[in-house]
Amino acid sequence: MTWLFPLYLLGAAAIIGPILMHLRRRPPQDRVEFSSLMFLDAQTPMPVSKRKLDHWLLLLLRCLALLLLALMFARPLLRVENEAPLFQQSATIILLDSSASMRRGDLWKQAVDIASERLQKVAVTDRLAVATLDRQTQLLWSFDQDRGAASTRVATLKPQLSALKPSWESTDLGQALVDAAGWFGSAQGLSGLQKRILLVSDLQEGAKLEALRSLVWPENIQVEVMRVEVPNADNFTLSLAASSPEESAGKDKAPKQTEAVTRVRISNARESKISDFNLDSTPVTSGYIAPGSSRVVTVPALTQAEGSTLTVTGDAWDFDNRVYIAPAQPKTVKIVFIGDEKTRDEAASPLFYLSRALQPTASLRPELSVIAATATALPPDTQLVFVSGARLNAPLAQSVRALVEKDGLVVSVIAEPTTPQDLEALTGIGAKDWNLSASREEGSESYSMLADVQTAHPLLRPFADERLRDFTKLRFWHHRKVTLPKESPLEVLARFDNGDPAILGKGRLILLTSGWHPADSQLALSTKFVPLLYGWLEAAGFRNEQAASLLVGDVLPLDGATTIMTPDGQTLTPKPGTIPRAEMPGIYRVGKELRAVNLPPEEGRITPMDVAKLRELGVRVEDGGLKGAISTLAEEKERLAITEQEGRQRAWIWLLGALLVILGWETWLAGRIRQSVPQQAFTPA
Amino acid sequence: MPANLDSTALARIRSLELRAKVIVEGLWKGMHRSPYHGFSVEFSEYRAYVQGDDPRYIDWKVLARSDRTFIKKFEDETNLRCQLVVDHSRSMSFGSGPFTKADYAATLAATLALFLMQQGDAVGVTTFGQTLQEHIPARNRPGHLRRLMLELEKPAPAGTTALDISVSQLAELVRKRGLICLVSDLLAPVEKLERQLGLLGAMGHDVVLFHVMDRAEIDFSFDKSAHFRDAETGTERFVDPNVAREVYLNRLNVHRDFIRRACERQGIEYQWTPTDTPLERVLFDFLSRRQRKKGGGRV
Repeated sequence: MTWLFPLYLLGAAAIIGPILMHLRRRPPQDRVEFSSLMFLDAQTPMPVSKRKLDHWLLLLLRCLALLLLALMFARPLLRVENEAPLFQQSATIILLDSSASMRRGDLWKQAVDIASERLQKVAVTDRLAVATLDRQTQLLWSFDQDRGAASTRVATLKPQLSALKPSWESTDLGQALVDAAGWFGSAQGLSGLQKRILLVSDLQEGAKLEALRSLVWPENIQVEVMRVEVPNADNFTLSLAASSPEESAGKDKAPKQTEAVTRVRISNARESKISDFNLDSTPVTSGYIAPGSSRVVTVPALTQAEGSTLTVTGDAWDFDNRVYIAPAQPKTVKIVFIGDEKTRDEAASPLFYLSRALQPTASLRPELSVIAATATALPPDTQLVFVSGARLNAPLAQSVRALVEKDGLVVSVIAEPTTPQDLEALTGIGAKDWNLSASREEGSESYSMLADVQTAHPLLRPFADERLRDFTKLRFWHHRKVTLPKESPLEVLARFDNGDPAILGKGRLILLTSGWHPADSQLALSTKFVPLLYGWLEAAGFRNEQAASLLVGDVLPLDGATTIMTPDGQTLTPKPGTIPRAEMPGIYRVGKELRAVNLPPEEGRITPMDVAKLRELGVRVEDGGLKGAISTLAEEKERLAITEQEGRQRAWIWLLGALLVILGWETWLAGRIRQSVPQQAFTPA
Repeated sequence: MPANLDSTALARIRSLELRAKVIVEGLWKGMHRSPYHGFSVEFSEYRAYVQGDDPRYIDWKVLARSDRTFIKKFEDETNLRCQLVVDHSRSMSFGSGPFTKADYAATLAATLALFLMQQGDAVGVTTFGQTLQEHIPARNRPGHLRRLMLELEKPAPAGTTALDISVSQLAELVRKRGLICLVSDLLAPVEKLERQLGLLGAMGHDVVLFHVMDRAEIDFSFDKSAHFRDAETGTERFVDPNVAREVYLNRLNVHRDFIRRACERQGIEYQWTPTDTPLERVLFDFLSRRQRKKGGGRV
């Protein structure tokens, strides 16, 4: 006879309770209703001595019930030695966390030790797979490999594990568990085996678990969590913060970016005991962050040509204390204005406003050149063309049209001198289809306003924001009335309030029926002009915003470059068809461009996660505890075997049945005794 | 004397009226003599004067008009007014046999009421506990018996026994001379009772005291130690019956003797009535004594 939980047998000692109760000396508790106590004196109640056990049958039943209860909880079983295999073979996947947070202290060494130890304890008859997990799961040893070479697995895997280093990537624990569960399903010959996943990880709270939400965790896969820990949880995390909207609005107004700033976010871990940080900006920034909170710090923009690094100090762990910032690398945009160069400084001319609106920014450097309408061709590499009413000669018109077809952007104003023939040369729409007439608003105070603006159109994207859609202060004094044929390829992007088209578009050709200079309208003087111009630049492929910082694991955009220089000085030449990814934080040089790659900020959230979170997501977890509390596999298998045998025999059910019967007898007997006692007390002899 | 009825069988009869009828049946009519002259105030009819009638009741106006002598006859010529006074205190709810004392007292009163009303006497009922609870004056009318039975059947006796207060209140209410039957366990201090009973006697009432007690009270036949709870006050005392029995019986006898002697002094008829005494025997004894006392015949 063996017991599954022998400690419960101690509960049998509870029978002392009823024995003492049956032996207890207590005063009589009977009560008698009597007509009057006027002839009776009170007496001191004398304890009723019980030298012998009263109601011994009742006592026996009660003791028996307690004994059966203790036996039932102890779960007895008969060991059958010659039974078929005492325990099943198992299939185990060892998942080793190799994310950046494992770079702290000796976490990685602990994790590799646990994995190696477990590796040696897995029997040759058992099946094993080993994988590392960070942003993605990397299989080191698959079940298929194991099937063919189980005997050599230790010799093969040990050097591999020793050679492994933690990566700089984030932790996608959810995806790793989903992948591992999938391997059990896809590998051959695993049916009937016990399936276990051994997760060796620091289980930081920054680990992603979202992938588990899409999976119903299989009932037969058990996850054992071996958490590795370091005692110190003091950690600051430095990451880039998004620039604020106010700052963006400011950029549009003053595109020179003379007061450029960099915003970084410093976070303090939840269980951290420190709160004072130092940031090595110029000048040095110091401050206070409460544990579990974060703070955005604005420092003067870093402008080093080779890329800059900001470092926060004051915590215990260094791996997430830096952000890398690539220098601003504005793109050159070659813009041609067809008109008179002399008018550049005349306040009434369209060129005056255009040249002042197109100022260099952190990401764009517009180069505005002016050619006469009589020129025969556009300068080479022209990317944008503005025409304000000038009549182009035929070769130039051809050249401009070719630019439109070649992904350039052309903005042309249909002014008084423009004829349908000019428009035909520019758009390819037959001259007879154009119906142009002048429209000057009646009276000096009359004007038109924009209405029906297609803000969803890519060319008018800046006005997609509802707060920027107020066109009531933008007045047009004069415009050409254009009547379009019914099936025109031209699209009306905006109309005046009288229904006449205001902005027409055809691919990358934009036609304005009124100029932006003050003689025609208030457009150039309004707040809409610069956003409109930059919207057009964006539509032409020149975004006026700083390239977002890349994170480790992101794809490095090649943009035609052929070589990549990594932060540690290696030069890579990616093969065609492959997608190069950033593997470490730092400044990458991709071709001529510098790219800053930073650590994923969630990797800095090192506070240990509660294993219950995994359980909430349905994962069947048994917490293996810390490294020191590892139970040996053999013991565990023995325990499993006993559990399984007990589950088959189910002796406890019989004990439960007997217990219920005895409790029934006890209740009946106690009821009878109870009934008889008051009768004796109430009835005079 | 008729054969005794089985008290257990009697207890099974739920209707008090039926129970009383069973007891009264077979007994011949009583032999009472009313202290009054036979006329109530309620006029019923005339009848011709015969010799021997009291000339006070001749209707002189009719004689003057018709020259004939008629006598005014009144409805219900009451011979006896009997007021049954029944103890309704909580101590009456005790009973070790098939009857509680309250059941026994109610049946006794109902039996007396039925018997007396059958022979044309007026009967009333008064119940008391701490004070008088209900008072139905003595009458003899159709339906009056039913009313008495309903009053006697009322369950849940309440309050403590305050004999002296109740008796003095009764003296206020019952002014006309008659028979007063007091049914009680008399489990209350009785020092002032003698004076009150004497007052009733002085008012010209015939008073009969039925002292009802349960057999367990008389013998104190408990054998196990227990907490005894007073039915009236709710107080509890731990009592070992074997130790307390002697003192109890002594005190009870002293109490009983005091009451009996007080009754003798005041000319009150005392009838010791344990609840195991058959009721028809009690009734028979009562009637026999009345007959002896009044010298026989229906007076």
